[in-house]
Amino acid sequence: MRLALYVTCLVDLMRPSVGFAALRLLEATGAEVVVPEGQTCCGQPAWSAGNRQLAVDLAKKAIAELASFDAVVIPSGSCADQIRNVYPQLLADDPLWAPRARALAVRTHELTSFLVDVAKAEWGAPEFLGSVTYHDSCKGLRGLGIKRQPRELLLKVRGLSLKEMPDCEECCGFGGAFSVKFGAVSTQIVDRKCDAITAAKADAVVGGDLGCLINIEGRLRRRGDETTRVLHIAEVLAGGSED
Amino acid sequence: MSAVGRAQVMNFHDRAGEKLRNAGLQRALRKAKPLFVGKRAKGIASLAEDGLDFEMLRSTGKNIRNRTLADLDVWLDIFEERAKATGAEVLWARDGAEVSRLVVDIAHRYGVSKAVKSKSMLSEEAQLNDALAAAGIRPVETDLGEYIVQLAGETPSHIIAPAVHKTIAEVEALFAREHGRPLETRTSADIPAMAQEARAVLRQHFLSAEMGISGANFLIAETGSAALVTNEGNGRMVTTLPKVHVVITGIEKVIPTLEDFATLMRLLPRSATGQSISNYVSLLTGTRREGDHDGPEKTIFILVDNGRANLLGSDYQDMLRCIRCGACMNHCPVYFSLGGHAYGWVYPGPMGSVLTPLYTGIENALDLPHATTGCNQCGAVCPVDIPLPALMHRLREEQNERGLRPWSERLALQAWAWLAGKPRLYRWVTRRVARYLDWLADGSGRIRIFGLAPEWTAGRDLPVSSSRTFHELYSARKKT
Repeated sequence: MRLALYVTCLVDLMRPSVGFAALRLLEATGAEVVVPEGQTCCGQPAWSAGNRQLAVDLAKKAIAELASFDAVVIPSGSCADQIRNVYPQLLADDPLWAPRARALAVRTHELTSFLVDVAKAEWGAPEFLGSVTYHDSCKGLRGLGIKRQPRELLLKVRGLSLKEMPDCEECCGFGGAFSVKFGAVSTQIVDRKCDAITAAKADAVVGGDLGCLINIEGRLRRRGDETTRVLHIAEVLAGGSED
Repeated sequence: MSAVGRAQVMNFHDRAGEKLRNAGLQRALRKAKPLFVGKRAKGIASLAEDGLDFEMLRSTGKNIRNRTLADLDVWLDIFEERAKATGAEVLWARDGAEVSRLVVDIAHRYGVSKAVKSKSMLSEEAQLNDALAAAGIRPVETDLGEYIVQLAGETPSHIIAPAVHKTIAEVEALFAREHGRPLETRTSADIPAMAQEARAVLRQHFLSAEMGISGANFLIAETGSAALVTNEGNGRMVTTLPKVHVVITGIEKVIPTLEDFATLMRLLPRSATGQSISNYVSLLTGTRREGDHDGPEKTIFILVDNGRANLLGSDYQDMLRCIRCGACMNHCPVYFSLGGHAYGWVYPGPMGSVLTPLYTGIENALDLPHATTGCNQCGAVCPVDIPLPALMHRLREEQNERGLRPWSERLALQAWAWLAGKPRLYRWVTRRVARYLDWLADGSGRIRIFGLAPEWTAGRDLPVSSSRTFHELYSARKKT
């Protein structure tokens, strides 16, 4: 199987370690993993802002560069949702691109759902000494139905205990441009998320979307919490640090 | 809509800041949210006891609403014909102003000096209370929450819990002033006593008012009835004691049959308050008949368009399925950060962010369709499966299509998208951005004040973990 890893623009810029962790996990499945060189951004910011033309342009670009792979894996529910659910409707009226969008959509997977539902691979589960609480990101959860997959994977990690936080399915308030346009409202929402995380009394909060994690980490630190680690699930599953 | 109302909608962003700083409001909201969410969850779970499944039921509910909307004119005709056959009068209103005019005319015709009202959001659309007062008719809200809101000189902040933004202490202050008694210290244990106090005052109004004004949760075409779903019993008083009963409701509220009503009733109370059925379910058909102990001598329906017909056949038709349960706002992280008044018009929360621009003009509510994290907690709980995030998204697209977005935003998006279309240049720029962020973080792993996103760093740090981009590190690794 020939896989493409789509690292997302946020991971590329803000936290490369997530990309490398995803790479190690995918390579451990025995697949040939390629990081397509031309990838930039799936276009979600343009789509969210309501700029259809720009979103269409970037969707076509992504479809063209990802079309030749058996599967595309993304360490983000949000970007995976964009390709799986938004691209086909965005290009539905384009006779040339609609079938290509649909073909890519069904081959595109969020990382944890790929590992559990598609690759079904056993990997040398690493060690993580401590407890984690899992934040269900909105697009992954409500867009792609990802709920059990990350938990199944986390429970295979030696030494890890899972402590569910209250209201783990509640939005963290990130919402992309929302957190920049309506920063104060977003802060209020992420504050409730931080309360829930603190109540879980876990060593780390783990999630599958870097946007949420940056938002949560930023607020936790601003509130003076310097100890709760904020980790992408790929980082926990791949173990260790590196690169 | 008035000029003042318009200005309020425009100022969502500033208003949000004001609401965040309102400690009383924040206390009230923090208290209410888990109650709403918990009750609905229990109510939905209880469907299983009746062997029902939420997803199945809501697809049935959605079909009933879609089927009706597809032939709305026909069902309205049938409703009108059947309602008239029961002795009711049926009037039509194009907009809020016409609603007010019709109601004032009716009041004058029947010599009305006081009107008791049971909650009707449509009368808020019409700003009916102002119109009645201006015509010398006293409107008295009799739903406890509406009564409180009216005493405070405010508008409802929630479609089923109009005073959810008020604390007990605030209500106590209003009651003491209005009922002419000393102020007392109140806790939630005193709520029944306070309700009793309001009830005693309202009873006098029920007995003396010449006109009752109510909304309707549904209009049943086959029987020409209005269906009213309430919990406090005031709805029954309003609709049966005064000699004239006026029902004001939107044209989209009609459903074909009582059978359909039964189906939708499995969804509505559970989604709203978690109840398997509300305390009162009234089917109001016609006027008082011979031998009846109560009931109005005159029943008048005012069926209102006010922007609804425009949505038929548009990209927004799904919104007309709404059965006004409030579940979308009860599960909205933005609503529960700000309360309903931040939304600036009659309807708050996700349904308001769709309806306000559609009913008052897209250009008058530019912020609302953006005031969402896109979490889809609203869409997930909607009992008639309205894709609220998709409708807000369509409104954002329309803002772009009509050139209503600020040039700075358009330019920034254009520049970014252009760059994202040029991978080599994109790599070069992102490498520099990573260096820059790292320089700003200055070894601390975070940026505390970031001029390019001041609203972000006003409330949280921007974590910075690397001075190198992934692609930069990856290509370096491939070379070694």
